[in-house]
Amino acid sequence: MVKRLYDIVLLFKEYVVAAFCLLLSIFLLALNDTPQIRVLRSYALVAVGLLQDGVSVVPNYFELRRENDALRNMNLALSDEVSRLREGKLENLRLHQLLGLKERHEYRYIAANVIGRNLQLLRNTITVDVGENDGVRVNMPLVNESGLVGKITGTSSHYAVGQILLNRDLRVSAKVQRSRVDGIIRWNGGSTLHLYDVARTMDVQTGDLVITSEYSGLFPPGIKIGTVSRTEAMSGSLFQIVEVMPSVDFTRLEEAFVLVSEPDSARISLEKQPH
Amino acid sequence: MSRTVSDILLSILVLLLQTTVVRFLSIQGIVPDIVLLWIIYLALRHGQIYGTLAGFLLGLTLDLISGPESMLGLAALTKTLAGFIAGYFYNENKTLQTLGGYQFILITAMVSLVHNVIYFVLFLQGSGLQWGDMLMLHGVPTTVYTTAVCLLPMFAFARKVLS
Repeated sequence: MVKRLYDIVLLFKEYVVAAFCLLLSIFLLALNDTPQIRVLRSYALVAVGLLQDGVSVVPNYFELRRENDALRNMNLALSDEVSRLREGKLENLRLHQLLGLKERHEYRYIAANVIGRNLQLLRNTITVDVGENDGVRVNMPLVNESGLVGKITGTSSHYAVGQILLNRDLRVSAKVQRSRVDGIIRWNGGSTLHLYDVARTMDVQTGDLVITSEYSGLFPPGIKIGTVSRTEAMSGSLFQIVEVMPSVDFTRLEEAFVLVSEPDSARISLEKQPH
Repeated sequence: MSRTVSDILLSILVLLLQTTVVRFLSIQGIVPDIVLLWIIYLALRHGQIYGTLAGFLLGLTLDLISGPESMLGLAALTKTLAGFIAGYFYNENKTLQTLGGYQFILITAMVSLVHNVIYFVLFLQGSGLQWGDMLMLHGVPTTVYTTAVCLLPMFAFARKVLS
């Protein structure tokens, strides 16, 4: 190997000597700190940059692999971050809407996260992460930015369970906002609620807003329940079928507020007395 | 060995002449480059490596004795190249014929031109002066003057060849 190298050097000795002398001269030139050398240095820098740029086109397998790994890791971390940011954005949006709800009503609200759902076909309940220690009591309404969610039916110190509108045991005194027609909201299964006790002569139209009525001893009046999606006169009956699409999307329920509205015990006891 | 020693002594003499006497031959500030002439002679007489090394050492010496205003390494670079290019025309069997013939004039003219172009291109960087103008003003006249001066040794070698 060394011999071969020596032979090559010997073969091109004139060039080797010239190259050595020229390099030495250039080195000496580089030691100068004159304007000429500064300009030449900048040219050299450009030339080296172009050379490096050209060489960089040739891929280095090991470097590429390492870069690929690093990029993959970065991609993973960024995907995770994007996911968390997206989640945060959606949460922010929901909380904004909840804040809007709080500003619309003068009641006190206890913010709660829905931490569990118990979907037993006809008796659907949710569990929230606030309880008696937070001031939550049985029969307090559960709402969110879209409207009425349900009511609290059981409490512990830190948790509470609530019936949602899609629970056969829950009945809500309601009224059609436009025509002030009263009725009882109840769920019989399916995707819609029903407004009962509405006489077939009453003015109820598709698209009408249904809200809680002032006749309810549990729910404050004016809370949105849903919109009328279908009406149909029952044959051989004095009443009509009124289907109401709930305004709350129960499939995507993640946060709710417990509305601190103590039932008017005096009113309830009075109403319970025989008159 | 004696050849090298004599060449070194003559080189010193040439350097002394270039820095002292030659300026009296100045025409409009243009002086012949007899150091370059000497390097071309050495390259044609002894070969490319000899010419290259002689060019480098003489150029470096010129740089060192030219004072702080000069660019250290510039003369070394240009004269190395001059020796290297002149060495291409080295012919062991026809040394005297080359030195005593028109080839010497042509080689001197060409090498001197290349030498001056490179010298001025590098020397005028960052000065704001157009190197083309300066080459026409100084480089080409120096080349012409140096080539003209090379006629003296050429005739001397021609006589030697004829005799």
